[in-house]
Amino acid sequence: MGKYVLKRLGYVLVVFLILSLLMYLVYAMIPFDRARAEVEQYKTIYKNEPEKFEAKYQELRKELGLDQNVFVRYLGWIGIVPINGQYQGLLQGDFGYSYTYDRPVIELLSEPMRNTVFINIIATIIALGITMPLGIFCATHRGGKRDTFIQTATIIGYSIPTFIMAIVFIWLLAILLREGVEALTGLDINIFPVSGMKTPGSDYKGIQKLLDELHYMALPIIVMTVGSLGGMTRYVRASMTEALSMDCIRTARAKGLREQVVVYSHAWRNALIPIITLVIGWFLSIFSGSIMIENIFGLNGMGQLYIGSLNAKDFEVVLLIQMFYVIIGLLGNLVVDIAYGIADPRVRVNN
Amino acid sequence: MEKKQNKRPSNFAQILKRMFLGGTIEHTVENERYDSPSKLAVKRFFRKPIAVTALIILIAMILFVIIGPIFMPIDLSYTETLHQNVAPNLSMMSIPSEMKDSPSSISSQGSFTIGVDKDGNVHTWGYFYTFSEDPEKDVMNIPEAVQNANIVLGAAGTDHCIAIGDDGTIYGWGDDDVAQYGRDGRMLGQYPQPMELINGKIVVDNVSQLICGDQMTAILMNDGTLYVWGNAMAKCLNLDSIYKAVNKDGVKLQKICFTNTNMFGISEDGKFITGNNKQYEIYRGQNTQEYIGNRKVVDIASTGDSIVLLLEDSELISLGAITSGPELPEGETIAAVASGSRHFVLTTVSGKVYAWGNGALNQTDVPKNLTEEGAADTVFASGFQNYAFKDGKLVEKWGLKGYLMGTDDLGRDVLNRVVNGGRMTMTIGAVAVIVSSIIGIIVGCISGYFGGWVDLLLMRITEIFSAIPFLPFALVLSAILQGSSLQEDTRIFIIMIILGLLSWTGLAKLVRGQILAEREKEFVVAAQSMGIKESRIAFKHILPNVVSVIIVSLTLDFATCMLTESSLSYLGFGVKLPRPTWGNMLDGCRNSIVIQHFWWRWIFPALFLAITVICINIIGDTLRDIMDPKSEVEK
Repeated sequence: MGKYVLKRLGYVLVVFLILSLLMYLVYAMIPFDRARAEVEQYKTIYKNEPEKFEAKYQELRKELGLDQNVFVRYLGWIGIVPINGQYQGLLQGDFGYSYTYDRPVIELLSEPMRNTVFINIIATIIALGITMPLGIFCATHRGGKRDTFIQTATIIGYSIPTFIMAIVFIWLLAILLREGVEALTGLDINIFPVSGMKTPGSDYKGIQKLLDELHYMALPIIVMTVGSLGGMTRYVRASMTEALSMDCIRTARAKGLREQVVVYSHAWRNALIPIITLVIGWFLSIFSGSIMIENIFGLNGMGQLYIGSLNAKDFEVVLLIQMFYVIIGLLGNLVVDIAYGIADPRVRVNN
Repeated sequence: MEKKQNKRPSNFAQILKRMFLGGTIEHTVENERYDSPSKLAVKRFFRKPIAVTALIILIAMILFVIIGPIFMPIDLSYTETLHQNVAPNLSMMSIPSEMKDSPSSISSQGSFTIGVDKDGNVHTWGYFYTFSEDPEKDVMNIPEAVQNANIVLGAAGTDHCIAIGDDGTIYGWGDDDVAQYGRDGRMLGQYPQPMELINGKIVVDNVSQLICGDQMTAILMNDGTLYVWGNAMAKCLNLDSIYKAVNKDGVKLQKICFTNTNMFGISEDGKFITGNNKQYEIYRGQNTQEYIGNRKVVDIASTGDSIVLLLEDSELISLGAITSGPELPEGETIAAVASGSRHFVLTTVSGKVYAWGNGALNQTDVPKNLTEEGAADTVFASGFQNYAFKDGKLVEKWGLKGYLMGTDDLGRDVLNRVVNGGRMTMTIGAVAVIVSSIIGIIVGCISGYFGGWVDLLLMRITEIFSAIPFLPFALVLSAILQGSSLQEDTRIFIIMIILGLLSWTGLAKLVRGQILAEREKEFVVAAQSMGIKESRIAFKHILPNVVSVIIVSLTLDFATCMLTESSLSYLGFGVKLPRPTWGNMLDGCRNSIVIQHFWWRWIFPALFLAITVICINIIGDTLRDIMDPKSEVEK
């Protein structure tokens, strides 16, 4: 097992290097000159001295390493080749510098990362809590009226893009519900806040802070959960159906086991293997999926930071987040394979 | 399989016959006939009512977006400021029946129309929206005082109405934020309604003309007295100079009109009065006043940005954006010129009607029977509609009925944009799917059939591609494209290719897996032993066996690509406005004001996109079910 993991880690490293080079080249293609943008602030100082201005520009180019070949710059970014006599790359723990925020990128990431992980984990847990029983129910009641109904509903669920679902939920929960409550009780309560991260001006601590955040993130989390219900339910149902048609299930039934034991012990264990892929895959896709959600609800998450930096041409931030997504994807695949081994004894034996 | 027709032998002779002679030939064929897999699949598909419904809806959608743009071509630069955020309605031309026999005046600027009949009643029709909760600000809500009074004249602005009762009282309702009526106290640049008109009355018989412009109102008396009030700072820039001409230079106005930003008139002695405005100074390369010379101007009409002058010798002078009038036959004399917000209409002495100008909303499509002699004597052109009357009876009306799906924030027809946006979304989805399938099938086929190091290499490449996070990377690529100086069409084409290039990996893995399974079967061995070329076996013998998987994947991918395109466009990285797609139409709908009050702006594109994707997914799902032999066994 250890050897296997090591081999896979080496493979992840190779793919990461190839992909990061690819990404770096793509970013180098963007027609944008950082030195040109930075030198603008000297324009007033060197107003009447264009030669000095040009010299400053060249100096900045050199300082930023822009005069180098793109491959050299890439190696410098990784931290293998020195830029201006200094090793400053990923290997040295230098993750780049954000020019819009005027801070190192790594400092910038902590808050958005926390928020993104927070909403993703909650949404995935809720979604799993709903879809697993629902999928099992559908598989055991296959072909029935309730199953057909749920199947149709799930198709609709996964066909509707996140942004439309968000708009519909804002309309239903933040507008109609609020109006309804106001009409009934006369109180204007902001049950589901549409934007923001916390009560403006508040300074809560501990559990109160968490509750306040949950209150503000309730609507995005609901949209995200509902958005993932359709696809997940179908997946659980499919793998459960597959498991229920196995020979061992027939044997279990033939030897007179109770149906509950057959379904939850025998079939479920077999269905779990593809579901593990789903769960991990879901965590990954939800990282990029939350770009939409964060953008719509104005949450300070990774996706929002990504789009914001993209629009502000702050490419070091964009590049690092992109690499983060790549790493998550590659490591996710590795975790899937290891989890396979744990869940499925056959795989373990083969290795 | 198929329903067995177990005909029970009906009589003893038949039983004997079957026992000794076997079944009849027809009987055997009936029982043992089987269909080819594809035919069977089609048959099974059409036995599922949900799938068939989805297919019909999808075909209807596709026809809608392919044929629709032929009838509703899109003009990307089109906007209509007077029709911003109009709700779905078709009531803009539904003139009340009381008005059909006895119209006294019909007036409109934007989306609603006010009419006064000969009995002194005021009617409003069309559509008006105000954020204000105050019912007084809703122009459609005619105040009680006006309903009870006997009204002789009425006029509509863009958000207010003015009416004059037979006792000389002047009524105003609608929005009064910028002194459209009754507001005393003068804010900078605004002319309030004169006090003598608020408190006192006017001599009705002396009123020559009552007109409203955009947030402006003017009353012209027979003796040349002029009352103008409203938001003059923005909507009537030359008002001071017109006043000066009237009060100091003694010009006696005979008829006046408003454009979007100015006021013009003709004087009793037939001069064109422009105040200090120099916009319409030049006509056919000559000074307008000089061109007119000593001839008298007898009529004037104006749209938002154009003016038409009718001279006493029946020559039409078109000034501004609308540069040329209609070609009249020899000997026709013009009786009157009227104007809407974007077009002109004229009636000739012989009773023919001509319309010209901006006809984007059908304002200039004069019905056939009005081009005959003696068809109409009066035409009320109001805003975007025209009502032709003969002897006081309504003969014909034409123009804009309304918007089936409302308009957006720039006054563009949502239906038109849904049709054209759908074509864009579907085209992008289709091209992306074709690109991704071609790559996916080729890579999958080669990898699965040849195996070995080819397989290893191709699968590693596939894995690298599938490790690229899709949405972020697509965002970056389209950001790069935005920075470049590419044509919009090329950019869209490249977006299609990018979507295809990023989404082929799933299909490649699927095809490879299928081919690995098929490769071991006997028919491949047979083909190999017959000496058929490897590539021919891979693509001609094995590929058809996995075609069902490919079709299912194609269908589902089409839906996914459409969704991706809309997501990209929604975020502003796909197709750019003003070119519509179903995704970017929702771009401006993120705030709760739009979601709540202008629901038609998001509900229609969202509905069309959702229904199309749902239908495609249902079809793909059903196809997978019927093509999967396993699912058949279980039933």
